Amino acid sequence: MSDPGDHPVPLSTEPADAGPDDATIAWRLPSPLLLRVRRIEVAVVTVPLAIAGGVAGAVVSTGLAAGIAVAVVVAGALGERFLARRVAAWGYAERQDDLMVRRGVLIRHQSVIPYGRMQFIDVTAGPLERSQGLATLRMHTAAAASDARIPGLEQGVAAALRDQLTELGEAQAAGL
Amino acid sequence: MTAPLPDELPLRAASAASDQPWHRLHPLSPLVRAGRQLMSLVVLLAGLLVANHHRVGRDLVTDLVIIAIALAGGFVSWLVTRWQITDGVLRVDTGLIRRDSRRFPLSQIQAVDVVQTGLARVLGLAELRVRMAGGDAAHGGRLACLRRSDAEQLRRDLLALSVAGTAVAAVAAIPARAVGRAGPAVVVPERLLFRVNAARLPVAILLSRTGAVAIAVAAAAGLTIAVSGRTSTIAPFLPFVLGAMVNLWRQLNGQYGTTVAAAPDGLRLRSGLIQTTAETIRPGRIQAVRLAEPLIWRALGWCRLEVDVAGARQRREDQGEGQRLRAVIPVGSRAEAGQLLGELIGSQPLLPRLAPPLAARWKAPLAYHFLGWNRDDRYVVASRGRVCRQTTWVPLDKVQSIRWVQGPLQRRLGLATVHLDVAGKRVSAKIQDRSDAEAREILAGLPDLARAARSAAA
Repeated sequence: MSDPGDHPVPLSTEPADAGPDDATIAWRLPSPLLLRVRRIEVAVVTVPLAIAGGVAGAVVSTGLAAGIAVAVVVAGALGERFLARRVAAWGYAERQDDLMVRRGVLIRHQSVIPYGRMQFIDVTAGPLERSQGLATLRMHTAAAASDARIPGLEQGVAAALRDQLTELGEAQAAGL
Repeated sequence: MTAPLPDELPLRAASAASDQPWHRLHPLSPLVRAGRQLMSLVVLLAGLLVANHHRVGRDLVTDLVIIAIALAGGFVSWLVTRWQITDGVLRVDTGLIRRDSRRFPLSQIQAVDVVQTGLARVLGLAELRVRMAGGDAAHGGRLACLRRSDAEQLRRDLLALSVAGTAVAAVAAIPARAVGRAGPAVVVPERLLFRVNAARLPVAILLSRTGAVAIAVAAAAGLTIAVSGRTSTIAPFLPFVLGAMVNLWRQLNGQYGTTVAAAPDGLRLRSGLIQTTAETIRPGRIQAVRLAEPLIWRALGWCRLEVDVAGARQRREDQGEGQRLRAVIPVGSRAEAGQLLGELIGSQPLLPRLAPPLAARWKAPLAYHFLGWNRDDRYVVASRGRVCRQTTWVPLDKVQSIRWVQGPLQRRLGLATVHLDVAGKRVSAKIQDRSDAEAREILAGLPDLARAARSAAA
């Protein structure tokens, strides 16, 4: 959170500052529902923790109980702000010969993966993602370091992207 | 990478679709495979016998039973293991209760190793390992053991077949497998590129990180004895001392007598004191070359040259410190390294001449001096490292993905790092701490260069 002036941007538009080559690349963003998934995840952790902390604090005094509960909720809210920015930072761009993926707020990453280098592509969806109709696309190359993923794609989009990437990969496949 | 799914069960397919004969491993192989455990048992037994020769009775029986069971298991495993080469695929069937049938498409072989443990050398046997891309060592092909001459003949055949591709015609052209009745071995002319200096190696190992750890442990143990005046106080140190010694030994055993030779079917690496390994790396399968110059070695003008192949991950025990690569020069002078490097990358090696921007001084004050990169139309070279200077050469046509990374501090200073990932043991050339504009340019330009290099190589 190095720069407080940067408000979380709406997901449908371009974040202001996301690494090199902003102008020339048509970034596509994950579904806005991803933010909801992340919020639910934060809530799932925060609420029980706040209750448990409150109950534990109540043994000593009501004031402590309230203090702990409020602190946990505030931490959760801060986490939510951070996650919102992280969600906004995800993006991918299909270029002619490669796929670009960017992510990260504090440490920013931008990967270029040639279609021909993709060994296999996974579409996974956890229970939360599934409840929102989302899926995560994972691309694997022969290099262990370079596996890129795109979370929060609508399931239809993810499947279509997977098929398209597979097709492009087959067309441009290169040996090791 | 996966073999096409057979229409029928693998077993039935195996018996039906083979015109090539099936081969067995050498009958003595159970002995060799059990060798390591057997050896330690025998040592233990001998120790017990010497220590308390009155009360061995039951222990001896137990141990003998264990040995017998191990040997019987090995024998059954030998009985049910068979292999064959057919249609450009090496097939290895094994397992009594759980049948296991593996196929290794020869066209995708990355490297073929012939490994001989100490016992195997005494018996004249050798293990053949076929390395494929990805997966770990357990998924590679292992034929343990064959007669040594057979193993070498088979390696030649496999490499010849793998170069010839999967064409059935090529398979037929190779005379029926000579294994079992090895014909006159074809003498392959090899050109020696490097031989490690046998006197320098132990010194170098002692001066490396492993050696430093061993010396520290030994010193601590020695100090304890000196202070307390009794040898028994060393007991708590024993595991560490042993561990350090084993590490030292493993390095010495693995790297002793390393020779590198250029053979027609690839780069031949031989090494080993007790257990010897002969690896053959097919041409064009080297994913990265790394020159490492640790601090102390630098003062002596020594360096280490390593290559990375998209082979299986090393067994955990062999991994040593972090991601150790295959050292083609375990220790050598800069001149030797430069010469071999020229052979490996087939040209005058590119030097990382492009210096980082001044702002990188704040991010990496110590390493600043060593940061640099350069590229031509075939290679990218990048160097970095504080204590151990590392220079990595990556062929552009092997680049799997390109990553641009910027941390918070780098953002403040207007810097960014670009990684070039290759298939291998997590090696990447790291073009560290370049100016924003330059990193942008690299990220924009390298994918095209890599593509051009790929199509040029294809």
